[in-house]
Amino acid sequence: MDRMLNLYDLKEHFTEDGILICFSGPFSHSIIEELGNAVKRYMESEEVTRAALMDVFAVYVEMAQNVRNYARRKEEAGDRTYDFNNGIVVIGKRDDAYVISAGNFVKQQDIQPAVTAIEALRAMTPAELKQAWKRQLHQDTPPNATGAQLGLIDISRKACKPLDYTIQPLDNEYAFFTIRATI
Amino acid sequence: MDNFFLEQTNSTPLIDFNAVTGELVMAGESYPENSFEFYQPIKSWLTVFLAQHQGRVCLHVRLTYLNTSSTKIMMDFLDLLEASHQQGRAVAVIWYCDRENERAIETAEEFKEEITFPFDITLEP
Repeated sequence: MDRMLNLYDLKEHFTEDGILICFSGPFSHSIIEELGNAVKRYMESEEVTRAALMDVFAVYVEMAQNVRNYARRKEEAGDRTYDFNNGIVVIGKRDDAYVISAGNFVKQQDIQPAVTAIEALRAMTPAELKQAWKRQLHQDTPPNATGAQLGLIDISRKACKPLDYTIQPLDNEYAFFTIRATI
Repeated sequence: MDNFFLEQTNSTPLIDFNAVTGELVMAGESYPENSFEFYQPIKSWLTVFLAQHQGRVCLHVRLTYLNTSSTKIMMDFLDLLEASHQQGRAVAVIWYCDRENERAIETAEEFKEEITFPFDITLEP
């Protein structure tokens, strides 16, 4: 029989890293909803404040929907280089903080605006983040805009430390992009 | 003008807009797959309604979660109400929050900062 993926090892690896919920696969809207329910139920069992529960849920939704919206953009652009809708989202706990991370395939030139935005957001105080939020909220967005900007500001406001991100180049044009928020 | 009614789903809110009484209700959670598409007909209805309706307009909000796209659209709705208010119409918002949810209260307060018409934040229970 051919080699079986050792799921126990994988699960142990997750446990060691404090990962509680992990989904790797196609980010359909119904999967985002169902996983969202699982996140809420899990957070309810953790006995955290209502605000903390909603923060974790909100950050998860923003990250998951960003992947989905990006994938839709790539589909509209006719880019089939990667399965852009196939991402990964991980919710875990480290010490007393919740860590939400998401990863997806991107075209390197596409993430430049996001990287610039994240770098700027990383340096902001809560008051500056609130200003950035209000400014972006009042910006006139074209109908096809994904609204990722607003999402990144919202995630930054809810996080207890600056957002982390990594870019792993896969070739000259594409990369795997991950973002991590700690609540 | 017809009333506007949409059943609540997992990720989209109940929309119950009464064109006669001017009582508009939004309840549930809002993180549609495509916020722009979902809210476009609602925004159109609201625009027409505000131009036609002579009586008082009151928007009752019982939204426990809005994703950022929905938040942007809510801001657009509040801007429409504000414009009406500036034209001398009677408009108001009542935003209902779970007393235990600090984040929901903050969200309501931040919206309230953006407008000048009567905006009441009611804590429940």
